[in-house]
Amino acid sequence: MSKLKLLAAALLATATVAGGAQAADETIAVFTKNQTNPYFQTVRVGAEVAAKSMGAKVVHYIPTKPDSIPEQLSQIEDVIIKKPSAIVFVPVDYKAMVPGVEQINEAKIPVVNVTDRSAGGKFLAFVGADDYSLGLETGRFLLKEMGGKGNVVILEGVKGSLTNIDRVRGFNDAIKENKDVKLLASQPGNYQRLQGLQVMENLMQSHPQIDGVLAANDAMAIGAIEALDGANRKAKVVGINGTKEAVDAIKTGKLLATGDYNGFVQGCIGTMVAIRALRNETIVGEVVLKPTVVNSTNYQPYDVPLEARTCPSWDQAASMATKAPTKTN
Amino acid sequence: MSLAGDISAGAPRIHLSQDMRQLIYRLLAAGLLCLALSLASEAFLTANNILNVLRQASLLFFLASGLTLVILTGGLDLSVGANIGLSACLAATVIKATGSPVLGTLTGLAAGCMVGICNGLMVAKLRIPSFIATYGMLWVLHGVTYYYMGGETIHGFPPGFRQIGSGYFLGIPIPVYLMVGFLVAGTLFAQRTVWGQQIYAIGANPLAARLTGIPVDRRLILVYAFSGAMAGVASIVFLARLNSAEGDIGEAMTLPAIAAVLIGGASLFGGVGTVFGTFVGALILTLVLNGMNLLAVNASWQPLVTGVIVIFAVWLDMHGRKKA
Repeated sequence: MSKLKLLAAALLATATVAGGAQAADETIAVFTKNQTNPYFQTVRVGAEVAAKSMGAKVVHYIPTKPDSIPEQLSQIEDVIIKKPSAIVFVPVDYKAMVPGVEQINEAKIPVVNVTDRSAGGKFLAFVGADDYSLGLETGRFLLKEMGGKGNVVILEGVKGSLTNIDRVRGFNDAIKENKDVKLLASQPGNYQRLQGLQVMENLMQSHPQIDGVLAANDAMAIGAIEALDGANRKAKVVGINGTKEAVDAIKTGKLLATGDYNGFVQGCIGTMVAIRALRNETIVGEVVLKPTVVNSTNYQPYDVPLEARTCPSWDQAASMATKAPTKTN
Repeated sequence: MSLAGDISAGAPRIHLSQDMRQLIYRLLAAGLLCLALSLASEAFLTANNILNVLRQASLLFFLASGLTLVILTGGLDLSVGANIGLSACLAATVIKATGSPVLGTLTGLAAGCMVGICNGLMVAKLRIPSFIATYGMLWVLHGVTYYYMGGETIHGFPPGFRQIGSGYFLGIPIPVYLMVGFLVAGTLFAQRTVWGQQIYAIGANPLAARLTGIPVDRRLILVYAFSGAMAGVASIVFLARLNSAEGDIGEAMTLPAIAAVLIGGASLFGGVGTVFGTFVGALILTLVLNGMNLLAVNASWQPLVTGVIVIFAVWLDMHGRKKA
């Protein structure tokens, strides 16, 4: 009994000493939406790389049922008890998770909002990308490569999801800029590879000439390429997300381009902001990353394993800031 | 209806003729859909598009055909979609690691079948209701697959292997041959073999089936194994068609597969239904998507259109059956 107490005391002592000595003891809880979308894997690895370089630890919270609101809410309750130093938070639903964020605020755990902007709650900063300009720039790139003329189709994502609405609006605006481009059809593939393939197969039945395909994510874009290959037809295809598979397809010339949502960099900067805030260093209030259209001329930095990529330096990150931090402390 | 099903359960001949009449009404729904589509779009009634629709229906049919046997016993297999995901990822890993599509295919089929046998054991031996057992299995499979894949995809398979999904023989896609093969085999198994008839009998009245000496447990394990194996088949065709595996590929397929079986005239209470009916059900669901794409129906309206047509197809079928 006394031995046990002694041990506990010793442990406690080392813990406080280590805590006083800063670093290594900071735990960042990273919340992402699911384990199925490769995008969130890039956010998680970005967070890990940033934390490692700054000497902090990362713990992941991922709903087992993808995008489950109740599950993320219960994970928040869990995390409030465990009290990590800070939280990097991607809400599974930007509206429904507001009460959860308020719970985090009440527990006084600093939290950074990443990827999907929460409709409420207090955050140190928001780090994200803009789906509209991502759709617009990726669309513009395709249409420029098509010489500003031809027939195109859009493969939409999940109807009603924020990302899809903005990406498709971006696509449409890019098409409107080109008078000689005709939009033949805009059909939903629900971000699913199989549906991307099948919808493309169907569209090829009713449209003998399709020159360009704008897909709201990479999985549908690759599905559409399989459909085109299967019918021995050629069209220029673009996707969105900058996945490894898309980069491989760009290398082999099958995919024209993919708009990168920069999940890795979002994970990096979000985590850097959280750790810097803990250390009372200067932070930024908002970073909305500019879209990068990955294509055959600039894919090299994306052609390395995620773990081997490096985060931007803090100066670079700070220079991308779109808003200063709101004073809370 | 169920009474007639009960009595005829043991007698193959009555079954067939009764099914024949029902099939005519079921085909009527599909026929009406085709007629409407061919009037609305020139592109619909072309040889190319018919083959296109058949190839698209094949994946759903593979999944739904195994499920039909489970539903015939009065059970349900909610894990088929998750099973595709796991089987495809394992098969893809093996193909990548060994370079052998044959080993990969065997892995996929074995994985699918093993999952099915586990389901069967839970239902037959542990007496867990099939809805719960397979719902639990769904989560287990998702968990294992997502953890294993970690959000990655495995892509790029040998061209020879890809023929299974995207190749042609005499101008007809390979998956269509596979579908016809399984359609014939499944129909013969269900209608003409003792085992098949025992499956109908179990669904019609499990207690009576047990009392007449049918090895109910073994047959139950068999149908879940079949269902799992067909998910394995679907996963291989999926890999060969899409050239890529990721954890969530089957997630969107479970409900359509169950819908295909039920649209095809099977009853969730068991004892009623045919593999051919399921084929028609899969065809109707595929035709709806095909038609909406050809007619470029606004994305916002597509769920509504799908729902209305599914309900109408089943109503027409039930209405026709009452008259028959």
